[in-house]
Amino acid sequence: MKTLLMTVGLLALSGAGAVKVGVLLPLSGASSVTGQAARSGYQLALDEINRSGGVLGKPLEVVFADDGSAPAKAVPEFVKLVTVDRVDFMAGGVSSATSIAISGPAKQYNTFMAWIGAAAVPVEDAFADDKYFFHYHPWAYYNFEAILSYFRYLKTYKGAKNIAIAYEDGPFGSAGIDATVAAFRKAGFNVVLQEKFKTGSGNFGPLVSKAKAVNPDILYWIGYDTDALPLATEIRQQNLKLGLLYGTPPSWPVGFEKNALADNVAGLSLWLPGSPQAESRKFVAAYKAKFGTVTEEYFAPLAYVNLKTLAAAINRAGSTDKDAVAAELAKTNVPTPFGPLTFSRSNKTQYQGFKAGNWLHFQFQGDARVPVFPIKSAQKPMVYGR
Amino acid sequence: MDLFLQTLLNGLLQSGLYALVASGLALAVGVLGIVNFAHGEFLMIGAFLAWAASTYLGVDPLLAMPLVAAAVFAVGAFTYRVSIRHVLLAPELNQMLLTFGLGILLQNLALMLLGGNTRTVSTPYQASSLQLGALSIGGPKAVAFALAAVVLGALYAVLYRTDLGRQMRAVAQNRRGAQLIGINVDRVYLIAFSVSCALAAVAGVLVCVLLFASPAVGLVFALKAFAIIVMAGLGNLTGVLWASALLGVSEALVQTYVPGGGGWSDAVFFLMIFGTLVLRSFRGAR
Repeated sequence: MKTLLMTVGLLALSGAGAVKVGVLLPLSGASSVTGQAARSGYQLALDEINRSGGVLGKPLEVVFADDGSAPAKAVPEFVKLVTVDRVDFMAGGVSSATSIAISGPAKQYNTFMAWIGAAAVPVEDAFADDKYFFHYHPWAYYNFEAILSYFRYLKTYKGAKNIAIAYEDGPFGSAGIDATVAAFRKAGFNVVLQEKFKTGSGNFGPLVSKAKAVNPDILYWIGYDTDALPLATEIRQQNLKLGLLYGTPPSWPVGFEKNALADNVAGLSLWLPGSPQAESRKFVAAYKAKFGTVTEEYFAPLAYVNLKTLAAAINRAGSTDKDAVAAELAKTNVPTPFGPLTFSRSNKTQYQGFKAGNWLHFQFQGDARVPVFPIKSAQKPMVYGR
Repeated sequence: MDLFLQTLLNGLLQSGLYALVASGLALAVGVLGIVNFAHGEFLMIGAFLAWAASTYLGVDPLLAMPLVAAAVFAVGAFTYRVSIRHVLLAPELNQMLLTFGLGILLQNLALMLLGGNTRTVSTPYQASSLQLGALSIGGPKAVAFALAAVVLGALYAVLYRTDLGRQMRAVAQNRRGAQLIGINVDRVYLIAFSVSCALAAVAGVLVCVLLFASPAVGLVFALKAFAIIVMAGLGNLTGVLWASALLGVSEALVQTYVPGGGGWSDAVFFLMIFGTLVLRSFRGAR
């Protein structure tokens, strides 16, 4: 009896019974800028949740794991979180390739996933109609919808007609490239060039020479942060005159905005520190108080919203029962730094959070990312080179 | 015609960087007889040191180059003392495993200390170029090309015009014989390996200016350097320049004229290695 009491006491002291959330992120490797930004967002949310009473009356526990931006590492890390650490819920997830890789074990263990990244459609296919899969980040077709809307604006008001596309030859750049080209053509653009490149090779000389020969108005670049500076450098060296260089890397190189070559390069973001929403201002203030700095990466507030809404749903459900939590999370309707968050159906999944309307287009201007489109959110006029 | 000429120029300029990386590797192979699979990681150290000099000390990466080269020379000497010299007489597989492991260790140390972020520097000449009619010659790439020519010329001069060079060639030809005539073989190996690492660091500085610094940045260039030294003939310094030019121009032609060629550029150097080995074995059979 004495032993039993001691065991119960020790379990109570050790926090047994506390809700555990496993967070799988690329803390190293190619997507580490994004992963580290997301980790900061989770840490900030965790502090706030536990300061205001935790979850189900106990402090919330978060177990971080590094997927190394590699599917081969993501799978054992995911399985460890679920089977050894015995987490109640999984959150995180950035890259599409790692998310596809863990879709098998996720189904095997019937895992509840509140997922912040992974925009590629094959991930949507892998989790189609999954009753425990909540996807916060817009799918790739929502991203493209936002880009097409911006380019249509450029066509109407700046006369942009000819688009050259440079895309990396991995799944991120290549999946859906045919559909992208078809959509541009349907929207009345001429796709004058579509060129693959090896990410990280830094060898953009021939690609830029070819682009120069076809004289595009917009160079649309789909690749990773490693390619941003070499591409911008080569464009300047070969004197390729563009209306706009538009890129969609998951993150930008550290310090890129301070390089003169970044001037007027445009991109896509769900959020910028200068976003006017009250929730965004609150997030920036809290982030600054905790870390002493401000992040430009939208994965930080996305992770913050992710954990806060999951914790709120668990509290409303009153237990860790997955069906009850899913039912409560599905009812989410809260203001966030990105605008209101509600879940609705996407093409294939039941619970999709943010969609095309949440995207902002920015331009690097004067060492900062400045929102330039949609016009209602623009803080400065865009610089168009023609 | 302009596109064709610009393509040739792109390939030639790119080959300067390849030649710089390959020259150090060729020296290590030629003198020590060891294929250093960690060569790309010494390039990575050079790139990070240049980035640190620019970011924290405000020193231009190109001006910091001599100091970076000296620092990596010291790292190379330390690496030789604690690891390389113990496997010089071991089977080749052991040598390869050691340098391969060393590469993984250095890359992961960089990941632990600096994270996986891509770091870039900002210099006023990064986008400089010379316009010759419709043709553009990128400034930093032209510097890399010129530097490669100077480095290879200097290496050639050292090897064929100095006592140290004669000692290196003697050691490369016959280690035992060199020892018998009083050459300090260990010292020659130490210098050759450290110079090889310093040359990788010089290439790393240019990579930092042209591209970026990251823990994995050395891999792409090390693979191409292997292709170049295979084409040039293992340890053949004079062959490095033409082999680099051949690889650079072939890549540029494939990227420009083969549909989807950008995705094939990495296959070019494998094809080059394959072709060279087949040609050499064919000649050997005759």
